[in-house]
Amino acid sequence: MSETQVPGSRPSFLTLFRFFFGISAVTIGGGYVMVPVIQRATEKRGWLAEDEFYDLFATAQSVPGPLALNTAVFVGRRVAGTAGFLAAFLGILIPPFISIIALATILEVIGEWPFIRGFLDGAFAVVPGLTAALAFNMIKKRRWTGLRAALTIVAAVAITLSGTWAVPVFFATVAVSWLAERRAAC
Amino acid sequence: MLSLALVFLKIGLAAYGGGWTIVGIIKTEIVGRAWLSAEEFARLVAVAQITPGPVALNAATLVGYRLHGIVGATIATLSVVAAPLTLAIVVGNVMARASKRGGELTEALKTGTIGLISMTVWAFAPSAASSPMNLAMAALAFCVSAFTKVNPLWVILGSGVLGAAVRVLFG
Repeated sequence: MSETQVPGSRPSFLTLFRFFFGISAVTIGGGYVMVPVIQRATEKRGWLAEDEFYDLFATAQSVPGPLALNTAVFVGRRVAGTAGFLAAFLGILIPPFISIIALATILEVIGEWPFIRGFLDGAFAVVPGLTAALAFNMIKKRRWTGLRAALTIVAAVAITLSGTWAVPVFFATVAVSWLAERRAAC
Repeated sequence: MLSLALVFLKIGLAAYGGGWTIVGIIKTEIVGRAWLSAEEFARLVAVAQITPGPVALNAATLVGYRLHGIVGATIATLSVVAAPLTLAIVVGNVMARASKRGGELTEALKTGTIGLISMTVWAFAPSAASSPMNLAMAALAFCVSAFTKVNPLWVILGSGVLGAAVRVLFG
């Protein structure tokens, strides 16, 4: 694999750690919010051009895992090698870990207050809508063929029904679709 | 404790399609094993959404914390990222090349990912059906994030404030 060197600047471990720590500490809303923030910030600092970034982002999507974390570690590795990878990993991971444990501890005390309880119930009420919108967008954006539609329906039903077997069933449906797609492409 | 690590390792392995898919898998695994009730899990998700950081990681940390304290939180967090990061280091470039060249692998992963997100939708649908207000908030959230570019955070916070107001005013 070829590590393309960014001309001029190779940020230190500490710089990158502070960079990702800062983003992770203030960005609420998960990967789809964090990724554009990381993109603009790396471009502004002259670490990565936009197209380079989206190349890394595509790679990050091809492996499983939280999108924001994957993208960050790829960016870290590109701009500063192994030190950058570690800086991104720790920088993204530590702030939510600390804040969430702090919050959970506080909620053990105040979680039953009507105001707080109502707030959490309200915040959760949007989850079915948000996830349905995510599914809707994925379905809308895809280029459909008869084969893909059939495979997707089978995959959706099989995974939904499989309970704690969802993960192996997911891989089985991916393998079957891969073979079917390959055969169709020939 | 070991089973906690194994479950989160497994979840991390299939964590395609971004945070919410992962949250769906976590729900199926954790509530399916009766480690937490559906209601407890819902409250954890609510907290995970309003805390900075990737929602899936937050949810994993919280579930671990709830089950086994700080040690559990550490184990769950590290387990859920272990497989993805190993894959990222080992096969990231190979996978990227394979998915660029063929497209078949990408399409196959999309098929599976839509399957996973369908499971997630199915897992959370009962809570939308539980009261007229929940249904209205879910429908509103769907419209906002499917048809506009508004940051979903505003919907989450707005709905939270509304929920708090309703609770305080009407009990």
